[in-house]
Amino acid sequence: MTKTIRFRLIDALLIAMMILPFIGCIVLKVLFTPPSEGVSVTGPLVYLQLGIKPQPLYITEATMVSLAVIIAVFALCLYLTHGLSVECRTKRQLIAEMIVEKVTDFVTGNMGMRFVGFAPFVAAILALSALSSLSSLLGLFPPTSDINIVAGWAILVFILMTHYKLRGGVGHYLKSFGDPIPIFYPFNVFSEVATPVSMTFRHYGNILSGGVITALIATALAGLSSKILGLFSGAGWYTTYIATIPFLRVGLPAVLSIYFDVFSGCLQAFIFAMLTMLNISGGYPEEEAAARAAKREARRTKRLAKKTEKRVAKGAGAATIGVLTSPDTPDEEK
Amino acid sequence: MMTFMLAKESLDVIYINIWAIVISLVNLLILFLLLKKFLFKPVTRIMAERRAKVDAIVSDAEAARAAAEADKAAYAERMAAADADAAEVIRRATATATRESEAIVATARERAAAVKKQAESDIAQEKKKAVNELKGEISDISMTIAEQVVGREVTPADHHAMIDAFIAGMDSGDSHA
Repeated sequence: MTKTIRFRLIDALLIAMMILPFIGCIVLKVLFTPPSEGVSVTGPLVYLQLGIKPQPLYITEATMVSLAVIIAVFALCLYLTHGLSVECRTKRQLIAEMIVEKVTDFVTGNMGMRFVGFAPFVAAILALSALSSLSSLLGLFPPTSDINIVAGWAILVFILMTHYKLRGGVGHYLKSFGDPIPIFYPFNVFSEVATPVSMTFRHYGNILSGGVITALIATALAGLSSKILGLFSGAGWYTTYIATIPFLRVGLPAVLSIYFDVFSGCLQAFIFAMLTMLNISGGYPEEEAAARAAKREARRTKRLAKKTEKRVAKGAGAATIGVLTSPDTPDEEK
Repeated sequence: MMTFMLAKESLDVIYINIWAIVISLVNLLILFLLLKKFLFKPVTRIMAERRAKVDAIVSDAEAARAAAEADKAAYAERMAAADADAAEVIRRATATATRESEAIVATARERAAAVKKQAESDIAQEKKKAVNELKGEISDISMTIAEQVVGREVTPADHHAMIDAFIAGMDSGDSHA
């Protein structure tokens, strides 16, 4: 298959769409970063503030990076599915099919075939979480170390979880909290509410603590290197200048970054996806839902049967009338 | 009232903002829909199409094989029928040939017998004729010979005796012929 110019142009556009949002984020960050002394641990930079009730709406760095991640993933989807063919001739199609198959297997393996429709949702969580955490490699603020971002995801998961639990009926849902004995009711309610909170804090805390530790070590290494350089340099105009070179920062932070940014980011994405799947499928009251579905089905068939019965009765009545009035009946012949 | 301002500061490490939560929730939903529409749907559709195509190819091959097997069976059947036909033809031909050859042989034998009979009767007739002619000639010759011989020294008695003896000799010779 020879690629046409149009095809290549669209490819280039999509690749640019993957990269440019992050460059835009970096530019924004550079423009907006206030001059500061030393390393400090802060929340995301605020770019824009809209005063809406009940709370001001901040357009922060976390918002922008999230948006960049969404645009990049969208562009990646379009790139991978660009020029799909039944014969599967391209490498990117292989990758796309592998992603879809792996995620679908992962979801059906953990949740069962009933929840196969959750595959794109789990893929979205994995992509958003992992790429958000990995954006710290570009020097950006990882949105996953903003508690609100992760809380939004966890609340969505909680809504879905409750939605599936309610499939067994509201009565069954309320009754399920007093599960072993009624005394456990408040504890079970508390643990139910704690689920999204714990998911939020687990993810957010891991990524934020990685950033904090990296910042602390960077500060410590800068201080140590200036101390060491101060020991060796004599008096002179250049001494103060040389002593500020944080040469010890070369090396160790990179190794730590592999753990805190790459490994921890991917691991937390995986854990969040795993917890999502287990919470949604684990709370699903299978027997109750099946019983309710069967009851609903029975009611519907009953209604249908009644309707058809009525129609048949009406039809039979019409037929009887026809028999009585039609001229060629055997009765009339007699 | 909505106020709008550019800010150049960082938020605290931990802050709770309802809008940020809502935006993030909606972001996840949007990404879910995008992935579903632009990655999962087309890829699963393509894979289903491929599966359908492969299934079609396999079923075509199965059908072709079944057809080939049916053809083979029909061919074998026809071959068997042809063999039987050939055997029948040969049998019939052999029977006809035998019958005809027997008829020919019989006719030939008959004709030969007739020819032989005819020849024998012809031969017998010719022989009789020849004997009669010979008898006449011999008696003539013997008469002349006897006249020449007897004219000098033989008596009529001798003459008769000689003629009788000769004829007797001729008769015995004739019976041998």
